[in-house]
Amino acid sequence: MSNTYIPIQMKVERIEIEDPDKALRTFDLVFVNEEDKKNFEYMPGQFCEWSLLGLGESPFGIASSPTETDFLRFTVSRTGSVTNEIHYLREGDTIGIRGPMGNWYPVEKFKGGNVVIIGGGFAFTTLRSLIVYMLEHREDYGDITVIYGARAPELFIYKDEISEWQKRDDIDIQLTIDNPADGWDGRTGFVPAVTKEIAPSTENTWVVVCGPPIMIKFTLPVLSELKFADDRIYTSLERRMKCGIGKCGRCNIGSKYICIDGPVFSLAELKKIPEAF
Amino acid sequence: MIRIEKERIDEFIRTLMETRAVYAPALDGKNTMFAPVEDPAGIDHNIFNTDKSPKEIFFPHSEVLFEYEGEEIKKVERDVRPIVVWGLRGCDARSLRLLDKVFGSAWQKPGNDMFEDPYWKEKYDDAIIFGTACNEPRSTCFCNWFGSGPHDDAGMDVKVVDTEEAFILDPVSEKGKKFIGSLKGWAEATKKDLATIKAVREKAEGLMGEAFGMEGIAEKMADLFFKPVWDDIGAKCVNCGACAFICSTCHCFDVQDEGKKGKKGKRIRIWDTCMFPLFTKEASGHNPRDMSKDRLRQRFMHKFSYFISNYDEHLCTGCGRCVSVCPVNLDIRDVVRAVMTSEA
Repeated sequence: MSNTYIPIQMKVERIEIEDPDKALRTFDLVFVNEEDKKNFEYMPGQFCEWSLLGLGESPFGIASSPTETDFLRFTVSRTGSVTNEIHYLREGDTIGIRGPMGNWYPVEKFKGGNVVIIGGGFAFTTLRSLIVYMLEHREDYGDITVIYGARAPELFIYKDEISEWQKRDDIDIQLTIDNPADGWDGRTGFVPAVTKEIAPSTENTWVVVCGPPIMIKFTLPVLSELKFADDRIYTSLERRMKCGIGKCGRCNIGSKYICIDGPVFSLAELKKIPEAF
Repeated sequence: MIRIEKERIDEFIRTLMETRAVYAPALDGKNTMFAPVEDPAGIDHNIFNTDKSPKEIFFPHSEVLFEYEGEEIKKVERDVRPIVVWGLRGCDARSLRLLDKVFGSAWQKPGNDMFEDPYWKEKYDDAIIFGTACNEPRSTCFCNWFGSGPHDDAGMDVKVVDTEEAFILDPVSEKGKKFIGSLKGWAEATKKDLATIKAVREKAEGLMGEAFGMEGIAEKMADLFFKPVWDDIGAKCVNCGACAFICSTCHCFDVQDEGKKGKKGKRIRIWDTCMFPLFTKEASGHNPRDMSKDRLRQRFMHKFSYFISNYDEHLCTGCGRCVSVCPVNLDIRDVVRAVMTSEA
């Protein structure tokens, strides 16, 4: 019997600081054992438990796409005791991960349809995975529109990559910041308002929303106003987690466990769970 | 069915101990609990359902998942003898079966062994449960609310009835039949024994209070989620968590590391409860269940609504431990009554 409580070993290959406060770091991890690499199959939207022996575990969404086979990417915000230690990691250090865990964005269902991706702040991680995945399978999807908001221009993550996407004609990137800033000639305003302004067509379109809870809370009604059906809107939830396999009870909401039934839920599913927001 | 005269019970337990780790009710300070048997003569066969629930035999209060030294992970050696539990009451036997739905593989996501809990399975799968029928239920017992009763044998491998003169062992599961079939040198139960069993059973069932109707409680509770009934119930609760720790079916846990980074240490899991604010408080400071009432509601919703949605059973077997232990006399039966009689 396999033991999912035992982490697999990963090596930190590359670290990139994403913001001026150095509170957001991106880590590219590579598998120490070839066998683990072979067994690790994942989809955009899934997550892993990072395991630091002596410190504990924390769940993070996978920011790389399964089409990027050489590494697993994560972006970690320094918030608590585990993430603080994660920020002390150096290239070459070894850590443990458990996963992949949870379900994923329904990329199979999206095939043949248009996809609108709405993100906020540093919760853009699994959305990056989704975008890279869809660009790799570009012919499977219709229009791809990305609405991404941050408090200030320097707080967008994956800035270089976003610039590359902006040069392409097969993906529409709409960036917005909360308040006007020097040198910023893009949109300003909160994500819900900008979404309303852009008003993407609902025709054969799926929406994925991921960001801080407050952004999700105010964006969902806008999407409903724009007449997106509840089963066409997907979001990813977060809760405190420990086991990641539906046992420890921490991430239980309604009859669901975010770690195994989620983290990705449609709005139709969430409306049945009173505690979801 | 085999018959074990009272004076030969130690001999019987000793045969179990030859190949297995035997657990039986024992006194620990002022409280009763299940403990490994070292000497069968020390077992008190008159202990009713133990103060501490037997879940800890299979799901210890704190369990080492693995040990580590630097970056190296080492598995923990444990007593590999199969477990026998002697003297488990019917409510607890059913509790273990409910926990197996969570920790065992078959139920949650069939065919995916990622969802098996190896630490539970290595103990529970090979265990043999000797369950003792209750001849004198207590005022806190309400197993009959769940369609069970003092002589119910669900979840047991062998049902044991104490007839004053002897213990009558009735194998009920395949595992139990195989085990009892392999034993030699014990007499068959007599006609008189069977008559006695019938009589004590009827007497015990007569001592149970009237069962409260719980049909539709899952939907009813879901409809009442935002209703004031929870404020009324919650006003009394002090969120001490005693009910969850004593509960035979509560199974939430925390995972922690003992031993600093880079040094020798252990990763352990420890019982935890949704009654504590830290259970859901996130690193950002945000707590999805900030109010005491939210946490109390979660515990009852899990037992009487969510678990039913997932497994078609209540996550409660009516053992009555939480009724006895609650410092503010919050009786789970009153919670059920309040919910069932509230307007949605």
